[in-house]
Amino acid sequence: MKKLLVVLFLALLCLTAFGATTIKVLAWDDAHTQAWVANLKDFEKATGIKVDLELIPSGSMLQKTSLNVTENRANYDLVAIDEGNVAKFGDLLVPYSKWPEGKTFKKISTTEIPQAIFEAALWKGEIQGIPINGNVYVWITREDLVENPQYKKEFMEKFGYELRVPETLDQLANMAEFFGTKGIYGWAPFTKNTEGATCEAIMFFEAFGTHFMQDVAGKYVITLDKEKALEAILFYRRLMQYAPPGANDMGHAERIAAFSDGKVFSMFQWPGIIPSHENEDESLVVGKIVYTAPPAGPSARAAVRGCWIFGIPKASTNVSAAAEFAYWLNSYDAGMKLAEDGMTPVRTDLLTNPVLLETKPWYEGMAESGLFAVSRPNRSVYYPEISEQIKVNWLAAVLGTVDPAIAIDNMVNQVQALLDKYGN
Amino acid sequence: MEISNRLIRRNSRKGVLSYLYFILPALIIVGVVLVFPIIYSVVLSFFNWAQVDDGRRAFIGFQNYLDLFKDRQFWHSLSLQLGFIFIAIPIQLVIGFFVAILFNRQFPAAGLLRTLLLLPVFTLPVLSGLTWRLMLQPGYGVISYLLEFFGFDASRGILSDSGLAYTAVIVQDVWRMWPFMFMILYAGLKSLPADIMEAAELDGANFFKKTFLITIPMLKQTITTAILLRTIDALRIFSEVFVMTNGGPGNATMLYSLYIHKQAFEFGKLGYASSMAVILIIVSLLFAFGLVRKNMDVDTL
Repeated sequence: MKKLLVVLFLALLCLTAFGATTIKVLAWDDAHTQAWVANLKDFEKATGIKVDLELIPSGSMLQKTSLNVTENRANYDLVAIDEGNVAKFGDLLVPYSKWPEGKTFKKISTTEIPQAIFEAALWKGEIQGIPINGNVYVWITREDLVENPQYKKEFMEKFGYELRVPETLDQLANMAEFFGTKGIYGWAPFTKNTEGATCEAIMFFEAFGTHFMQDVAGKYVITLDKEKALEAILFYRRLMQYAPPGANDMGHAERIAAFSDGKVFSMFQWPGIIPSHENEDESLVVGKIVYTAPPAGPSARAAVRGCWIFGIPKASTNVSAAAEFAYWLNSYDAGMKLAEDGMTPVRTDLLTNPVLLETKPWYEGMAESGLFAVSRPNRSVYYPEISEQIKVNWLAAVLGTVDPAIAIDNMVNQVQALLDKYGN
Repeated sequence: MEISNRLIRRNSRKGVLSYLYFILPALIIVGVVLVFPIIYSVVLSFFNWAQVDDGRRAFIGFQNYLDLFKDRQFWHSLSLQLGFIFIAIPIQLVIGFFVAILFNRQFPAAGLLRTLLLLPVFTLPVLSGLTWRLMLQPGYGVISYLLEFFGFDASRGILSDSGLAYTAVIVQDVWRMWPFMFMILYAGLKSLPADIMEAAELDGANFFKKTFLITIPMLKQTITTAILLRTIDALRIFSEVFVMTNGGPGNATMLYSLYIHKQAFEFGKLGYASSMAVILIIVSLLFAFGLVRKNMDVDTL
């Protein structure tokens, strides 16, 4: 009996010592991550690693991560971090260059995910994690309108070139003006008092050839060219003439409603929202949309990026297993299945895959936009305060409550005051 | 004599202890849910306490308070908050009072109507804010449609105009909370002795005299209670405005609680937000003491 007990005890000990590794993963809850849940068993079967996946509302992610990931403690082995918060957690994460090679799944390289998207995880000159969704501005245009022969003819007569998906912002303005006479709003802005307004500012500044801030030797320096910024604002105000009623207070809900109602010709959209435009229960424009990169300004095309990344906290004790999970998510084979189940992939070969494109035509626009991805000046711990000043002054300028030149000065001075206060 | 004194003292100690046993659970609950968070907020307000523990947290004394008084947005949000209270609550009081007088008379279906009138109070604030946001949308919002119908140009969007957005926030709150005033004042009216009113009527007092010379003075403490409860509630208004305008356009509706939220959960400055919360507690206490000391006996509370 004694011997039996000893054997049982040893067996239990062996099971505990050599049992499956369990990793704790924290991410936001939506269709994207629910696709992971649906396919988790594949990963567990392939690696023998158990995954304790906790999904919470995206709005609670910052708070939850703040409480659970510190210098010395990590209650999660892998955490999803919004690009805007990379600066907050960057010092607490294992740099991607130090992530181990995968045992079952190959480590992801910049040949598989575009460098511009990988840079969502950039902090202090080093990539701190791996992007897990290809969240970048995609330009959506009503294909049925640009292909309408009568409109084509009339447009050609008026503007002297062919009506098509706008390739430049000037073309967009012409087309917006043209469709304004047909009872269709040419374009829909984002003017809600949220981060979306900062994204608009950055897109237009970049398209007009000026960066708001730049990292110079590890320090942010304001480099906004006032003249170009003024041009960008005045152009935005020109477009506002062709926007739907309530243009001064448009957020996601209002833009989705306007476009899905068939009232808007062309605008940007985030990839996560696009499926609702292609859902017959919610939209009147299903199958009538063409997806591209944003039209080019006088300087360049600019697609604002807002990816989520996976980071491994330095205090995690399961770095290898956590990395394995991130590699699995971003692998081609798993990606095919996950994309079918609702995940927005980030790999170029998935975004351009003909099979996936049949049901998800917007992937092509994402792949194209990824090449022109630009980042907000969010590589500062104090980015939310910087963004607040950009947003408030941009809105004041484009909504006409403050003279644009004065608004630009205010924007620069207020952000400079923040940089001075916090020592960059 | 000495022995009997000792016995009395022991018994009285025992008595106090038995009282303590009874109130201890309540004391613990109040301590945990009320006193501790307040003390914690006060302590945090003396720290540079970033949301993310990245080693930057440090004791900074009164620096948060000094920064606060130099922060223009702080004064702006405080003035918006006080403006909101001084505009919305009197309107709710007047509507609630006169509807209570109306319902103090008997008429058919009064009971049913009284119940229906209370519905807005039971609407979740976040739902109310969202519904008003949709109703005010140009193009498909029913209020915008009605305004257009009556010749008012709402095509630019009510919520995209600074002044109108602030007005809309107040109107939303008046709609949702005037029945609360009605409820309290109606209960107060019902408890007034009928013989005084009858005597006034015999003396030939008209409606206005009865209202302003009898009803209002007699309801003074009920009115004060209603104002006090609404004021404390209004100082904490958050979710309806958050979903309705999110403080916009610009910062036109950035009420105090929204600014605290922004500092704490957008900017991650928990210490600074705590110092704002401490100021809010002080403002609430000032309101409470002012109203109670001037207008009512503490016993009435």
